[in-house]
Amino acid sequence: MPTRRPFTLDLVLWQPWLPTVDEVDATPEQQALVNEVAPSPTGRPYYALLAHEPLALRERTALMKAAMYSQGGATRADRELAAVAASRANGCVHCASVHARLYAQLTKDDATIRLLLDEGVDTPLGDHERAVVDYAVKLSLTPATVTAQDVAPLRRVGLSDLAILDLTHVIGMFNWANQLFLTLGEVAPEPGATGHA
Amino acid sequence: MSQTQEASVTPLFAADDVINQLATITADTKVGALRTHRSEVARYAEGSYYALFEPDDFGNVSRIDRDLIALRVAALTESHPLITWHQERLRHAGVAEAVLTAVKSNPHAAQLSLRQQALLSHVDRLTNAPATATAAHIAKLTAVGLTPRDIVVISQLTAFLSFQLRTLVGLRVLAEEE
Repeated sequence: MPTRRPFTLDLVLWQPWLPTVDEVDATPEQQALVNEVAPSPTGRPYYALLAHEPLALRERTALMKAAMYSQGGATRADRELAAVAASRANGCVHCASVHARLYAQLTKDDATIRLLLDEGVDTPLGDHERAVVDYAVKLSLTPATVTAQDVAPLRRVGLSDLAILDLTHVIGMFNWANQLFLTLGEVAPEPGATGHA
Repeated sequence: MSQTQEASVTPLFAADDVINQLATITADTKVGALRTHRSEVARYAEGSYYALFEPDDFGNVSRIDRDLIALRVAALTESHPLITWHQERLRHAGVAEAVLTAVKSNPHAAQLSLRQQALLSHVDRLTNAPATATAAHIAKLTAVGLTPRDIVVISQLTAFLSFQLRTLVGLRVLAEEE
């Protein structure tokens, strides 16, 4: 297991292991696409790497937006919690950091998500958060073993069929994102870190 | 689910899209109605499938390579509808049964080229232990001639499947509850 920066609510920088289209003469189409989909200059390298295959990036970006922001169904906070839980279980420090900050903003509470980052997915949680996190972890780590019993706790805390499908899409999308962030590059070391943390 | 019946939803995707075919969902079921309610997700999931499995330009990663990768992910995750789907595509392309068996059971089997073995080993890492990846694993792919674009393509394919197979699990569970 490579040495990684610990899970954190702080902004982390991700750097690719391969040259991005910015470094190898992007076509005008690639440049325009990256300008359109990259959220900020610091987030740009990930999108500029995926822009080697533009159509796949375009479809995937629209899919992520639909999974995270569709109206009704699962709340925004539950979607972000599922994203963090999947990312925490899979070991993606970058994705967990981005979506933990969004969860903290939405809930005006950073204590819960900080515990999830620091202590892991088994940290004590309220019934609602526990149900979301458990589904996210099981669907992430052992999808073939998921049964109707695994969505029963979501129903007990009031989630509808549509909300459960929304969380399913989010968890799927974060397994996708986690795989890309973890295998195409790495999180930069913490500023001032000695390298043997 | 009155919620799904109230909303007027513009159909953005075909009722026989890939996920509905894989999950054997029809529009007149509860789960079919849920998918219609999330038609944007369905539309871009379908778009992602076609972008990765039926692109206009395959580059250096052939259709057969892509289906071999998908078959490996499906076998590792015991996703039976996806195993069937990609085996059928590979048979249609004339791939030998011995190769299909090898991909499902042992990515280092002699029936596979060194390039295919390198691809599938990387797919195993993405699927089972993505947090163990290092720059050295990318170097193994470039050593068998893969370009940055090729590596992005195989990573996107593998990671797309991780979304698709989990979506299928969720749909199966919701359908079982009916």
